[in-house]
Amino acid sequence: MIQKKICMLGAFAVGKTSFVKQYVTGIFSEKYHTTVGVKIDKKMVEIDGQPITLILWDLHGEDEFQKIRASYLRGSSGYLLVVDGTRQKTIAVVEDLHRMAQEILGEVPFVLVINKADLSEQWEIQKDAAERFRARGWMVIEGSAKTGEGVEQAFSQLTKSMVDD
Amino acid sequence: MIDDRSLLTGLIEALHVLVLQRMKDSQSFRLIGSIPEWFRMFTGTPHVTEAEVQVYLQRPFLEHFLTEAHEFWDTHTFGQLASGLWAEQGQDGHDVQFEADAVAKDGVKLLLIQRVGSGNFGLQAVLQTARESGLQHHHALSEHKQVQQVLGGKLEQSERLRDDLVMILDRLQIGTIMTDEEGRVTFLSRVAQELLSMTEQAVAGQPWSDIQAFSESDTLSLQKMLLRAINERLKVPVMLELGKGRRVSLEIDVQEDPRNTQRTIFFLYDVTEVQGLRGLLTEKSRFFDLVGKSSVMTEVYRRIQDIAPVDATVLIQGETGTGKELVARALHQAGPRKDGPFIAVNCAGLTDSLLGSQLFGHKRGAFTGASHDHQGFFEAANTGTLFLDEIGDMPLSIQTTLLRVLQEKEITRLGESHPRKVDVRVVTATHQNLEELVKTREFRSDLLYRVRVARLYLPALRDRREDISLLAEIFFGQSRTATKKFDVQEISTEAMQALIKYRWPGNVRELRSALDYALIHCRGSTLQPSDLPPECLTHSDVLTLMGIHSGLDEKGQIFAALKRAKGKRAEAARLLGMSRSTLYRRLESLGLPSKG
Ligand SMILES: Nc1nc2c(ncn2[C@@H]2O[C@H](COP(=O)(O)OP(=O)(O)OP(=O)(O)O)[C@@H](O)[C@H]2O)c(=O)[nH]1
Ligand SMILES: [Mg+2]
Repeated sequence: MIQKKICMLGAFAVGKTSFVKQYVTGIFSEKYHTTVGVKIDKKMVEIDGQPITLILWDLHGEDEFQKIRASYLRGSSGYLLVVDGTRQKTIAVVEDLHRMAQEILGEVPFVLVINKADLSEQWEIQKDAAERFRARGWMVIEGSAKTGEGVEQAFSQLTKSMVDD
Repeated sequence: MIDDRSLLTGLIEALHVLVLQRMKDSQSFRLIGSIPEWFRMFTGTPHVTEAEVQVYLQRPFLEHFLTEAHEFWDTHTFGQLASGLWAEQGQDGHDVQFEADAVAKDGVKLLLIQRVGSGNFGLQAVLQTARESGLQHHHALSEHKQVQQVLGGKLEQSERLRDDLVMILDRLQIGTIMTDEEGRVTFLSRVAQELLSMTEQAVAGQPWSDIQAFSESDTLSLQKMLLRAINERLKVPVMLELGKGRRVSLEIDVQEDPRNTQRTIFFLYDVTEVQGLRGLLTEKSRFFDLVGKSSVMTEVYRRIQDIAPVDATVLIQGETGTGKELVARALHQAGPRKDGPFIAVNCAGLTDSLLGSQLFGHKRGAFTGASHDHQGFFEAANTGTLFLDEIGDMPLSIQTTLLRVLQEKEITRLGESHPRKVDVRVVTATHQNLEELVKTREFRSDLLYRVRVARLYLPALRDRREDISLLAEIFFGQSRTATKKFDVQEISTEAMQALIKYRWPGNVRELRSALDYALIHCRGSTLQPSDLPPECLTHSDVLTLMGIHSGLDEKGQIFAALKRAKGKRAEAARLLGMSRSTLYRRLESLGLPSKG
């Protein structure tokens, strides 16, 4: 059985845990329960008829209290960068985390998720943000852990490019 | 009496830690103690076997941490590496949170895994509050954005953020020191003040490196860490000695102030308790400040543990330099009086009246020169321990008073008539044979019976040679710091052999000064036999040292030594292990010029 490790990276409260939970169990909760440390989940998927176990490393949000330990990233086949559309500042955080991931992992596939699409009228980030990242060659998905929009898609796109890699 | 092994297993059980020892093959682990209850719950198996523990180690997070841990164990003999917290879903569908530590100590490699219970949710709760308020702040901010920006409220906001941050750090029990661009302290948080036992006023505006609580070597390590790039910095372990035997172990994280990278923020984490517990789990070679893992010393530790809880007077016997005062301190620290004072008095070399007034105090005018009322050591040691060293040298008149004090538990200051109650435990020590002194009537027999209610014998260093290398390493480290000779990396095997062979009439104290001497003399990166004080070397050591065949006659040896010392007589004498005058005498008797 092939196992692939995926890390969830982003600022605090952007919806990393919610995104994984939606993907693994189909459940969403409004209640915010911050992650301390790492939370490990598994999900079995099939890509082109091939079964793969995804080991999902949901890391705590990066902020002034908790910095991501570089060693957590080691061995990842890919990662999701998550930003919160309603908070402009969360973009700078993923830019930093992306640089860190590149240093440790080299060029492995990643997907940028702009989360909380259900709150798009409250979005702080520019409407063309997604376009600008795509122009840099990034895979970008606007989605919502609440409605489930883009969740499957984000993980399956990532997994596909990990397998093709 | 406490049995070490049951203490250890009891402790492991009480802490609910899964303790595994890495085996020699570096692959497998052996279970130490029992399997904690949480493990059964988590894996959903009622009868857990060691095989299941091995399977557990292959779960993703642990497997990942173990690669790091193996690297750490392979490169460290001492220290510890923490995994950080992680959570996994247990058999019952609930998330369970864990933390693991790789510990290395004297070649023993341990993996400690703990389930982090609600205790840690203190941290969780604080981070939760911090982040929630961060979110709220954000929402409030985005509503009032224009106004805020126009009013340039930025400054106020960052001040408030700082206050919030400090409040949170205080709640996390993390101390904070902030400095300006020149390294002068601008802020010392409440927790930092407590940890360092000092007020903010005492250090504000001073360079942080002047903070008294940090030892010179700790300050140096912190300075070195500051020179590193920010992402290469590690926490610096620091040991604070705060007087009265109080010790605090800290880990200090040196960070830049995000608002101005020229300024520094020190985060102080108190790890005393963790270290203490880890120490209990892994350390057998130290007991308070006593060092050694020989069976004789282990027996001493056991005796101390037996004697410490009772209030009986103790007599510690042992040659000079064996560390009798350290034993007295350990007795104090391990007993119920540990929060009271510990006062040490050397009875040797003081006249009757001086010692009397020192011990029992005096009233103003009690004798010429007594210009004030004076409290004696007995009163000063009230509720604590009074250590009377060299009791064999105590004058007879004082012995009589001491005997009465021990019986009545009260003292009378010189020149006063009313007695005062004192609550003091008396610990005495001597290098002499008190029974002999009783025979020659220099020591009162009734006092002897009184002071040796509990007896403790400290072995001479030559009777516990297996501890010499450990002690030597420790003193080496201390002298190196004291002499700032950080280039000297280690003690050579030959020098260590010489240290182990020597008789050590001055015991541990002599060993300590031998290492001080050696460090001062050492020129290279390794401490060599030739750096040791000459008395530590046997004659044949000296000869081998000089590459001289020991078959050489005396004249030949002296020639060789002179040659090696490039004609310097003092140096040649040192090499030969003789005094300069002896060498001159030999030279003359051999008809060689002693000068020039
Ligand atoms: N409206 C909406 N809320 C969301 C969405 N995703 C997450 N949230 C909410 O945002 C808050 C934070 O979600 P989490 O999933 O805990 O965020 P996180 O990134 O894991 O946070 P940390 O673990 O603290 O780093 C919660 O209150 C969620 O209910 C979303 O798509 N839409
Ligand atoms: Mg989370």
